[in-house]
Amino acid sequence: MEHETILEMIGVKKSFHNNEVLHGVDLVLNKGEIHALLGENGAGKSTLMNILGGVHQPDNGQIKITGQTVLMGNPRISQAHGVSFIHQELNVVTDLTVYENMFLGSELRTKIGFLDEKEMCRQTREVLSKLGVHIDPKTYVRDLETSYKQMIEIAKALLSNSKIIIMDEPTTSLTDNEVERLFTIMRSLKQSGVSIIYISHKLKEIQAVCDRYTVLRDGNLVGTGNMKDTDLSAITQLMVGKSVSTDAFYNKATKGEPVLTVKNLTSEGLFKDVNFSLSKGEVLGFTGLAGDGRTELFESIFGFRKKYGGVIEVSGKPVKINHPKQALRAGIGLVPKNRKENAIIKDLSVIENMSLTSMGHFEKNGFISSKTEQKRFQEYKEQLNIKVHDPKVTIDSLSGGNQQKVVIAKWLEVNGDIIIFDNPTQGIDVGAKNEIYQHIMHLAEMGKAIIILSSEAPEILRVCDRVNIMFHGEITGKFTRDELTEEKIMEYATGSKREAKNIG
Amino acid sequence: MAELKVNENKSMNRGKKSLQWLWSEYSVVIAFVIIFIVAALMNDRFLYIQNQMNILMQVSTIGIIALGMTVVMLSGGIDLSVGSVLAMVGVFSVLALNASGSIFIGILTALAVGAITGVLNGLLVAKGKIASFIATLGMMAGARSIALFYADGGSVSGEVDGLTAIANTELFGIVDLPIIIFLLLTVVVYLLMQKTRFGRYVYALGSNEKAALLSAIRVDRIKIGVYTLCSLLVGVAAIIETSRLNSISSSSSGNLYELDAIAAVIIGGTRMTGGKGRVIGTFFGVLLLGVLNNMMNLMNISPHLQGLVKGLIIIVAVFFQKRD
Repeated sequence: MEHETILEMIGVKKSFHNNEVLHGVDLVLNKGEIHALLGENGAGKSTLMNILGGVHQPDNGQIKITGQTVLMGNPRISQAHGVSFIHQELNVVTDLTVYENMFLGSELRTKIGFLDEKEMCRQTREVLSKLGVHIDPKTYVRDLETSYKQMIEIAKALLSNSKIIIMDEPTTSLTDNEVERLFTIMRSLKQSGVSIIYISHKLKEIQAVCDRYTVLRDGNLVGTGNMKDTDLSAITQLMVGKSVSTDAFYNKATKGEPVLTVKNLTSEGLFKDVNFSLSKGEVLGFTGLAGDGRTELFESIFGFRKKYGGVIEVSGKPVKINHPKQALRAGIGLVPKNRKENAIIKDLSVIENMSLTSMGHFEKNGFISSKTEQKRFQEYKEQLNIKVHDPKVTIDSLSGGNQQKVVIAKWLEVNGDIIIFDNPTQGIDVGAKNEIYQHIMHLAEMGKAIIILSSEAPEILRVCDRVNIMFHGEITGKFTRDELTEEKIMEYATGSKREAKNIG
Repeated sequence: MAELKVNENKSMNRGKKSLQWLWSEYSVVIAFVIIFIVAALMNDRFLYIQNQMNILMQVSTIGIIALGMTVVMLSGGIDLSVGSVLAMVGVFSVLALNASGSIFIGILTALAVGAITGVLNGLLVAKGKIASFIATLGMMAGARSIALFYADGGSVSGEVDGLTAIANTELFGIVDLPIIIFLLLTVVVYLLMQKTRFGRYVYALGSNEKAALLSAIRVDRIKIGVYTLCSLLVGVAAIIETSRLNSISSSSSGNLYELDAIAAVIIGGTRMTGGKGRVIGTFFGVLLLGVLNNMMNLMNISPHLQGLVKGLIIIVAVFFQKRD
């Protein structure tokens, strides 16, 4: 095994607004390896990678590529040195075609200066087939699934002959088999001598695909080594500075009478003939692959989508829900997925985000009492351990986990009986994840009925009492937690198995 | 060796930071103060109390419209119809006044026509899902046309005594009633936006409409409310405009008012796409434009060149504002 070093970052320091976020970090990357860069949110991973990508300039320290010291003055220089950065938010232009995206900014031209469409398509096809993807270069990107968009980014990196590819949480929007396909590609890239820096919160994935790791905590290098010489709990411990439990959560609430019953819910093209019921103090999980319709199903139950047939009963009474406000009145709350787009209002303060859905609680003679708001927020801050110095700052200055807690506080203030959590730990680090789970458990123990939607099987198995598995808009399996394994979930989620009868 | 430069910025003290905060939050106030001082230095007649009142009087109509425009723009929309609606409201108001002989009926008509137009704008945007730019562009053309039709393309004059009293009454011997109305409405809209749930919802809607809807806010109703409020304020402005000369011109009244109002809102620091901005900013934006006009008149700058100066100031003001 050769250990040819391709990249060295030595003693990198960086401050933002007098606040040092990197205190002299080293990173060594070998040729042809997949290197995990780990750490909680705010540990400095993104800053370090932005320095490598030429987005930020380090205050101190140096970068060497194959032994040569280089200065990454801007992203273009970095690309010229063979570094490609695949960001968490995909940078594809959805209204352009695949090949147009591939050559965006470096279009090939014919002798007279027109775009050389033929050649670009040919090269695109070639690179994509190398990745095992067979799509027409003239397909519009908006018509592709997320995993394919990811492939386009990777293909783009290959096209520019990158030696180092940085992947920042590439799997957050991918389903399990898409992740598998990505890993296969990563391994073959590795074989061809490309080095990959892989950033993820999902330790299982890292174990599956990475060769070496570097862990950052609060801007310091706290550990580096070979993946096979360590185990996940040791890495977790390095990341958070203490050991974190991965035990399952069981809520001790006694199950009460059913509060939510759904009968024959159908929406053309989204979901079909969905039946389930949920009791007080129960945690019910919904899982499946991307496109299984679970998000659409619960957006309909929450009144965000309108055209559906079937019956929704809350506490035994049928309700008509055509607007989230009606869902609120029926006692249903929704903590949506994709927090940034769906849940937080980034121009409003932390407090204002908390109170938004229950303004009535904070009004006096028609005017908002900011004193009452502050007092109430203080209670949630303590109850949910929300870390914020000044709750009057806008919510986007908080970390993902704390933002999520504010969104949860918003629905706690409403005090409905049913709370739906869609992908509740998306983009949240390990430590904060457990906290969120604990709060969910606590809610169940208070007698709330909880629904959790997640495509992460381990998450579902850790927190849910019962699990419904969906495939193409239908529930293919209903189980209690004890009957399930990750493999079994996969069988039902891919539609290869389904229960003979649909038990109520 | 590329030992990178150590970039120490620790000298930035608290004073400088708070100054930066002041600049980013209230740059329009600072710009206003600067232009005010320049104007005072350029011409000694500028500071005469009569001149100051004159400025306020002149901006009151645009000011009231700009308040409504602020609310619309905070919600993420825009209302291009304000100028035309002003003319239309004026025409209907005078016709109703002349027909009934009652000033009360005239005022009521103005407010009603304003409100109805606003509801219509709101319905087009909220229920019809038409981009506000397009919906109000249509209203702009339509309202002007209706005004022209009912006024036969010319002006209509009030035939009832006392209409002119609204714009020409002076309180305390010096302050004209329209100034009082403008200041009062500024306070009302400020309180509405900062202290009530309607205001909170408007900010939420302008910042992230989907999240607002998923927070169980009746987004449609808020939108309709926003446009209704704006056109209602246009109704108030129309009453003042009509009363000032006891007549309204269906062809020229309110022309380009939408641009002045939008300029004031933008200079005041409100973001074009909504969710961020302040009523106080708009207030100072309006004053800034007023002082600028006045200064140019006092300095005898050709009226043909005044547009250029105004345009430059708008661009410079926005250029220096904190952008995100």
